[in-house]
Amino acid sequence: MEIVVCVKPAPDSETRLRANPAGTALDSEGVKWALTGYDESAMEQALLLKEAHPGSRVRVVSFGPAPRSEEVLRSALALGADAATWIEQPAELAPDPLLAARAVAAHLRDAPWDLVLTGKQAGDDEAGLFGPALGALVDAPSFGGVSAITHDPAARSFAFRRSVEGGSETVTAPVRSVLGLQQAANDPRTAKLPNILKSRRTPIEKVPWALTQAALGPHGRPATERVAFRLPAPRSGAKMIEYRTPDEAAEKLVRLLQGEAKVFP
Amino acid sequence: MLVVGEIRDGRLVPSSLEAVAAARACAGPADAPEGLLVGPAARTESGAFAAAGLGTVHCDADEALARPTPWAWSRAIVAAATAAGAETIVLAGTAAGRDVVGRVAAVWEAAGVTGVTAIARGPTGRLRLTRPVFGGRATEELEVAAPRAVLAVRPHAFAPPPAGTTAATASDLSAPRPEKDGRITGFERVAGGAGPELGDAAIVVSGGRGVRAAENFSLIEDLARAFGAAVGASRAVTDAGWRPVSFQVGQTGKSVTPQLYLAVGISGAIQHLVGMVGSRVIVAINSDAQAPIFRVADYGVVGDLFQIVPALTREVRKARGLG
Ligand SMILES: Cc1cc2nc3c(=O)[nH]c(=O)nc-3n(C[C@H](O)[C@H](O)[C@H](O)COP(=O)(O)OP(=O)(O)OC[C@H]3O[C@@H](n4cnc5c(N)ncnc54)[C@H](O)[C@@H]3O)c2cc1C
Repeated sequence: MEIVVCVKPAPDSETRLRANPAGTALDSEGVKWALTGYDESAMEQALLLKEAHPGSRVRVVSFGPAPRSEEVLRSALALGADAATWIEQPAELAPDPLLAARAVAAHLRDAPWDLVLTGKQAGDDEAGLFGPALGALVDAPSFGGVSAITHDPAARSFAFRRSVEGGSETVTAPVRSVLGLQQAANDPRTAKLPNILKSRRTPIEKVPWALTQAALGPHGRPATERVAFRLPAPRSGAKMIEYRTPDEAAEKLVRLLQGEAKVFP
Repeated sequence: MLVVGEIRDGRLVPSSLEAVAAARACAGPADAPEGLLVGPAARTESGAFAAAGLGTVHCDADEALARPTPWAWSRAIVAAATAAGAETIVLAGTAAGRDVVGRVAAVWEAAGVTGVTAIARGPTGRLRLTRPVFGGRATEELEVAAPRAVLAVRPHAFAPPPAGTTAATASDLSAPRPEKDGRITGFERVAGGAGPELGDAAIVVSGGRGVRAAENFSLIEDLARAFGAAVGASRAVTDAGWRPVSFQVGQTGKSVTPQLYLAVGISGAIQHLVGMVGSRVIVAINSDAQAPIFRVADYGVVGDLFQIVPALTREVRKARGLG
C-alpha cells in the first residue's frame, strides 16, 4: 500500500505569538516550525498501517516555503517515513489551504497512492479545508476527524471512526480516499536519535514552483487575503470574589456572570 | 446567497439558524437567502428553517443523505447553489459542516473560510471575515478575493434570528450520488456525552487534579448539567484515567473557545492554557490564591471546590429555573 501523508509546517505549539508591525500576519521572527498535533497523528496512523501491512510505503509531502518545509519533512523522515517530497511555495505567496490542495492534487495526478492522510486541520490556521479540497480535486472520498483506521486488502477498503457532535460514526471508504486525522487520535511516537541522524542524509524530492504553476494556471493564486492578525488584549487580572460562605460566593458569581459578563441568562 | 442547514436524528440542528443569521448579516436587504436541507426529514424541517428568514428551501430528500458523506453532500450543495444563483454559501460550523467546505470551495471555484465569528465588508466591498486561529490565541481577518465564497460559521458566534412567519416554499432537488464514495455505517454516542460536544459548547466546565478522585468528578458533571455545559478535564485527570482523553483540553487535547469556561481545581499550566485562553469569559475556582489560572481568569473564587461547586450548582439551577 502506498500511503501519502500531507503535512504543513506550523509554529511549534509553545511559540509565543506576536503580530508583525503591519498587524497583518504572525511575526515569524524566531518561530520554530514543526509538525503539529493533527499532522503528528496522521504520521503515526501511517506508520501503524505500514507496520500492519508489510511492504507498504509511507511518503510524506509538504507544500510550503523553504526552509520550513524541509524541517518538517526531516522530522517525518526521522519518525519513519520512507520518502519525502517538497512542493515548493514561493516565499512571497501567502499560505492558502485551497492553493495547497491544488498544488498537491497536481502532484498526485502522476504519482501512485492508495491512501492520503493529513491532519483534520492545521495547527496554526485551523481551517480544515485542505483534506476535503484535495479529496474533491482528485475525485476521491474525504472524511475529517478520523481515528483508528484499519485496512482490508481483500475488500480494498478502510474502516475507521469519525468524530462528530455527541459521538463518533463508523465509516468505510475505498482505497484511494483522503482522511483527515483527529488530534490525539493515537499516541504519536517520538523519533529515535539514529533515525534523526539518518533522516539528515535522506534526499528530499523537490517539485519546483514553475511546474506547479504551469499545472494550476489561473488557480495559482490564493482566494483570500489576510488583512489583519491580532492578539487579544491581555486580561487585566481576575476579579476576585469576596465571600463568607460558599452560598454567598455562588450567588455573587452567578450575578456577575448574568449582569456584567452576560454569558448566561 | 445559499444557507445550508444540517439535520441530525431527523431534527434541524440549532446552529443552522445561526447560519441564517450570518447570511442575513452579509446579504443585501433585497437579497433573501435561499436554503438547502438534505435527507428524509428535509421537507418536514424546511418550515422551521425558512421561518428564520429564508426564501425557497431546496430539499434533497434522498434516504442516503440522512447522514451525508462530505462528497454526496457537496454535490447537493453545489446543485442548490446553482439553482439559487448564489455567490455565497453559508453553513453551520459543526464537525460535518466544516468537513464539506473545502470540497465545495474546490469544485465551485470559490474561497473557503471556516470558523467565522464576524462578517463585514472591507473598504472595497469585499467580504471581510473574522476567525480565531491558534486555538483562539489570536484572531485573523480575511478578505475574499474570489467572486464566490463558502463560509462555515462558528457555533454561538451569531444569535439565531427570532422565528418569523415566512411561509416556506420547498423545492425538490436531486443531485447525482458519487460512485466511489465511502459509507457511514453507524453512530455511537460517547458515554457522558449527553451534553453538548466539548468543541462547540457555549459553556465548558472543566475539572482538574483538585477533584482528587474519579468518583468526585460527578461534582463537575452536576455543575455542567446545571449550566447546560460540556464537561472538560485537564491532563492530570485524563492521565489518571478518571475521564477518557476525549475530555482533555489543552495542547495535546482539544482547543475550546466557549463563551464561558470554568476551570475547577486546575492550576493553569501553559499546556492547559493554550487550549482555553481564547474563551470569552474565564472563571477559576481554586484553593490556591497563587495558582497561575487566576492570571488568565476574569472571575476568581479562592476556596475549596468541594464546598464552592455544590453551592454554585444549586445557584445556577435556581437562576435557570431548574429548582
Ligand atoms: C508535552 C506536554 C503536553 C501537555 N498537554 C496538556 C494538555 O493538553 N492539557 C492539560 O491540561 N495539561 C497538559 N499537560 C500537563 C500540564 O503541564 C499540567 O501538568 C496539567 O495541566 C496539570 O493539571 P491540573 O491543573 O489538573 O493539576 P495540578 O497542576 O496538580 O493542579 C491542581 C490544582 O487543583 C487545586 N486544588 C487542589 N485541591 C483543591 C480543592 N479542594 N479545591 C480547589 N482547588 C484545589 C490546586 O491548588 C492546584 O492548583 C501537558 C504537559 C506536557 C509536558
